[in-house]
Amino acid sequence: MHVISGKAWVFGDNLNTDVIHPPEFFSLDPDRVRAGLFHKLDPQIQPNLEPGDVLVGGHNFGCGSSRETSMRSLKLNQIGAIVAIDFARIFFRNATNNGLPCLVFRNAADKERISAGDRLNLDIERAVLQLPDASEIALEPPGAFIRQIWEAGGLLSMLG
Amino acid sequence: MSPGRTFVEKVIDSHALDPADEGLYRRVRIDALLGHDATIALLVDEFERRNLKVWDPDRVIFTNDHFSPPATAERADISNKFLCFARAKKIRHLMMDRGICHQLLVESPLCRPGALIVGADSHTIMGGGVGACATGMGSTDILFALATGTTWMRKPPSIQIVFRGTLPTNCSGRDIILELLRLLGEAGAQYRALEFWDRAEPKLSQDDRFAISNMAVEIGGKFGVFVPDEVTRTYCANRGDVQPIDDVQPDPDAEYERTLEIDLSKLTPRVAKPWSPANVVPISEAPEVPLTVAFLGSCSSARLSDIREAAEEVAGKQISPNVRFVVIPASVQVFSDALRAGYVQTLTDAGAVFNQSSCGPCGGIDKGVLGATDVCISTSNRNFRGRMGHWESQTYLASARSVARAAVLGRLSPELYED
Repeated sequence: MHVISGKAWVFGDNLNTDVIHPPEFFSLDPDRVRAGLFHKLDPQIQPNLEPGDVLVGGHNFGCGSSRETSMRSLKLNQIGAIVAIDFARIFFRNATNNGLPCLVFRNAADKERISAGDRLNLDIERAVLQLPDASEIALEPPGAFIRQIWEAGGLLSMLG
Repeated sequence: MSPGRTFVEKVIDSHALDPADEGLYRRVRIDALLGHDATIALLVDEFERRNLKVWDPDRVIFTNDHFSPPATAERADISNKFLCFARAKKIRHLMMDRGICHQLLVESPLCRPGALIVGADSHTIMGGGVGACATGMGSTDILFALATGTTWMRKPPSIQIVFRGTLPTNCSGRDIILELLRLLGEAGAQYRALEFWDRAEPKLSQDDRFAISNMAVEIGGKFGVFVPDEVTRTYCANRGDVQPIDDVQPDPDAEYERTLEIDLSKLTPRVAKPWSPANVVPISEAPEVPLTVAFLGSCSSARLSDIREAAEEVAGKQISPNVRFVVIPASVQVFSDALRAGYVQTLTDAGAVFNQSSCGPCGGIDKGVLGATDVCISTSNRNFRGRMGHWESQTYLASARSVARAAVLGRLSPELYED
């Protein structure tokens, strides 16, 4: 997989899916789903996202509901990847199944080295995050099975 | 000799497609699949585009619980898309307007002890109340499972929770799970299974078990499963199950990551303050908060025992004139039972309003949502900021008894139980 490059958006612990994508934006209309991302937390986030941007989270990223509109909104906004201390189970599955890379820090304290707006380069092959000063943060390699799904382009590509 | 296996390990092993595969992630077959209007509608186009077939329409339970009946034209369209799909695929258990999918699952013989079940909603985990390994997933996972009858799964480590002692009469399963949330936090069981061993005297009721299993997902759990026992067997028999139950039990030397012993005798009513279900204190230490809304509903509660406890609390009294008390039974079956028992009359006389069995305002979608200045006490499972409506609204989580008491008093108070 190629290197993902984008600016960092930094969040705290237990960022739940109702905050990521408020239920009132639940819709089958892609424009509405796209617009709802983080809308109640801060309506200025979504309009300022650029393709490839990287979300940086703390513990238990994506806890709560399994509604896949949260994932759909992240994909519609072309989020490149999410790096966190750890992920909630259902969110991790949804992201993996949709080919959105979710990686965890090898050392949780490294999260503090990233500031909002930093230009990040994420090398999936090496599981390394590069900061603007060219220093690197080690991430946990995702494992063969997860990479197999990413490489297939998501779970549904494995239906054959 | 290999070490003993937990209940969850045994269930996953018995569902593995390739028993010889010892990999971290394994393909497993499922016994049943649960879905609702909001999340199944998301996969319909993709399912049809790929020209897929439902692996076994007899093992699928679908209901429209998020929009039941729909309040807007857009939701009516979503609902119709879901219903048309379900009918075209000849889904055997399409239960239109019959209640919340998780309650309908546990009312069905498909939700058996030892079964492996996936559902398109996080609270599918509630099937653990009757000893099923049930778990929620997103629409892509569910599409794959619906087409293949299989999914991929990691065998989770388990945390053993042993209940002992006697549950005080003013407490219920809600207070137990809120206490577990206080002890373990929002991620305390992340990627883990919770296995509940009921050694209480008397044993916990089936409704209490559902309340506990339902919110195991709020601790991050993949499964929240009660080891099947006589309470489980009685429940299944009363439900009319004809198939005998597989008596899966954990090995006596099963390896648990940790064990937590809970002495229920020491429990007092609990409340979770905004904006986390793990932000729990004893009600005796709760702040004094005027309320505008009380909600008895959602898959987390709103079963017959919850409605009975609320009816006991309000009998002969009036709900505070400052409070709107909304009651939504978890299913039409529960509503019907509550009607027969007279609880609906008692609550209605006291000033409560009943809505159609559905998710209601729990996810901020349907009637009863909160405005900016609303402060709500609720039997639902999540008080995340903005979930039940406005970003500034506030939700406190408590048991049905506490919600009804607070609705009469008009406020949450540390003295709620001092009378």
